[in-house]
Amino acid sequence: MQKIVEPCKRIENNGNIKILLKGTNIDHVEFELPEIRGFENILIKKKVHDIPRIASRICGLCHASQAIVSNKVIEDMYGITPPSQSIILRRILLIGELIKSHIMHYFFQSFPDLLKIINFYEISNPYELMQFDPQLTSSVFDLIKLGSEIDKIFGGRYVHLITCISGGVIYKPSQLNINLIRKLLQKGSSHAKYLIGNFIKLFSTKTPPISFDLPKINYLGLSNHGFYDRYKGKIVIKNYKNQLYFSEKDYQSYFNKDIGIFGVTFHQNNNIGLITGPIAREKINQISVIERIAPYFKTINENWNNSILFQNFLELIEVDHEIHQCLKLLNDDSLNKCYDLPDLGEIQKSEGIGVVEAPRGLLMHHYKIDQNESVIQAKLFIATEINIPLMNFMTLQYARNLYKKEAIDKVKKKIAQMIRAFDPCISCATH
Amino acid sequence: MELKILIISMTSCSGCISTLFSLDIFPQFFEKTKIAYFPFITDEEKLDIYDIALIEGCITQESQIRLIQEVRRAAKKVYSLGSCAAFGGIINLSKKKEGEPLSNYIEVDGIIPGCPPPSSLFGNCLINLLENKMIKLSNKNQCYSCPLRDGLDYEYKTKITDLIPNNRDFNSTQNPKCFLTRGILCLGPVTREGCENKCIIRGMPCEGCLGSPSKSLYSNIYNFLSLLNLSDDLKTYKGIFYRYSKPLLIKR
Ligand code: SF4
Ligand code: SF4
Repeated sequence: MQKIVEPCKRIENNGNIKILLKGTNIDHVEFELPEIRGFENILIKKKVHDIPRIASRICGLCHASQAIVSNKVIEDMYGITPPSQSIILRRILLIGELIKSHIMHYFFQSFPDLLKIINFYEISNPYELMQFDPQLTSSVFDLIKLGSEIDKIFGGRYVHLITCISGGVIYKPSQLNINLIRKLLQKGSSHAKYLIGNFIKLFSTKTPPISFDLPKINYLGLSNHGFYDRYKGKIVIKNYKNQLYFSEKDYQSYFNKDIGIFGVTFHQNNNIGLITGPIAREKINQISVIERIAPYFKTINENWNNSILFQNFLELIEVDHEIHQCLKLLNDDSLNKCYDLPDLGEIQKSEGIGVVEAPRGLLMHHYKIDQNESVIQAKLFIATEINIPLMNFMTLQYARNLYKKEAIDKVKKKIAQMIRAFDPCISCATH
Repeated sequence: MELKILIISMTSCSGCISTLFSLDIFPQFFEKTKIAYFPFITDEEKLDIYDIALIEGCITQESQIRLIQEVRRAAKKVYSLGSCAAFGGIINLSKKKEGEPLSNYIEVDGIIPGCPPPSSLFGNCLINLLENKMIKLSNKNQCYSCPLRDGLDYEYKTKITDLIPNNRDFNSTQNPKCFLTRGILCLGPVTREGCENKCIIRGMPCEGCLGSPSKSLYSNIYNFLSLLNLSDDLKTYKGIFYRYSKPLLIKR
């Protein structure tokens, strides 16, 4: 048996492609993560109030999701609800995070792959990428800036927000800042339009390779009565036949995990057939039918629908959709009024669960605390952790097919493209 | 001539790199340099030679030591990016793992501290690097520039019972007083300034993410600890004083 281990490039943080060769066959392909950092352990014996700012450090890309979900768990245990203003602010912070995360992944990590796979156009470094379409590049930089500024102004800094606490958000936006963000969003909306148009122009009539097609799988995500909502909703597991709706409080009937060990186990489905993130959100909530967005989908060759590469298009669509949602949220009257944050008061229950949709999919925390308000158990359910079994399954099939005709070096390069299409978040996964 | 840049991560959350992309000067930095090795966005496999290396994250594995030693040989200047790389970082709150600063294994030419580095400080550091100047960090503490400093009591008489304010404090319209006089732990006295008191102006105490203003980091913090009138609860609480640093003294 020959073992090949090589770092996968153009992904968030470090991860290896591991291939086991047995004679002339590929026996095993795996995306190998660096060591687990052990946040489930770090959180033990920490005071509840201290948890969200530590949890934020799990990931510098999904930091807002990590901190907000953590606050939701604590609010569940104390039986409090943040004022409506804070909920709007949290939604806005999640939008800022998604815009930046999606655009960075789309442009720097996936776009060169799309050009290569679909159009056979080779880009070999970020400078060639930036010169490919200067207008695209400047739109990308502006959108990254937009996401960043939203989080800096409303959250206190670009990464690891200061204002997200249990009970709400300690920030009352001034009209000046609201106007500033509105202007940036309006510009951002035209940038998003440009990116979507660019995708359609370059790729929409082509057919992605069938190796990138997803097998028959289940989609996991949040749904607010059938609508796209990343802050609030029921958990949904949906497949081509049926769908299950349940509250996060009942998750243990459907899935669970062992603390400190990688992976989530789904009781009724084998994990290989499960995906969370933009594709699942679309299959569950269909933002493609929204009037403003539907025309974009009509232009796309339907062979894209079932490809993991479709995730790239959906990222752009989500950016566009959330920019519009954010513009609506900014018009909410309660945004610049004064609301008091609720006092935490007494603990109501010794266990709490919270869920949000991070850019890469479902994110859930579950804590148990003792009488001293210290954490005695923390379970963190991470989107990338849920997607990796499917990613490994698909890369193995793909590698085996490729290896019939191509040298192993080429195989490695091509499966790296598939890994990038999944947009794994290694920081989150190595929590 | 364009500076050739390497940017890599050790054990980290990618938050420092994420912050880099958000900086006002990032597009310019990108254009003015040649970012040649940056696994986040480049495919480059082999190390070459570089003018500047920025390394994010702490050391938790053998293989990382070899890698940073190679980078040290390959780069004229090496900088620790963020508090994980500079001091060991948040992972040291763990009972099972330790993260070490880069400087335990290689010589670094400077640090860009913070978790993540504050944007203005980070931006200024990059400008200095572009101009081939040293990174300049303040050696004053947070209190020096703190808007609440008038109320600071240098005898630290108030009993410290809390890590963050009560939500009622955020609702109050009165001007807040120094955290330490309100019974809330603030690490401002032993933390370098340079973030424009980011947390403090938002109503949260300083957690010490920029590290100590002086070289004797640990003694500094332990002197402070002995001066404070801490509640029994907090005396035994792990990770207040070395949240972003490897706790050398405690483990020995
Ligand atoms: S210093 Fe903070 S932001 Fe930077 S990598 Fe470490 S945990 Fe993340
Ligand atoms: S106030 Fe303290 S914890 Fe906050 S950013 Fe500044 S140095 Fe870091």
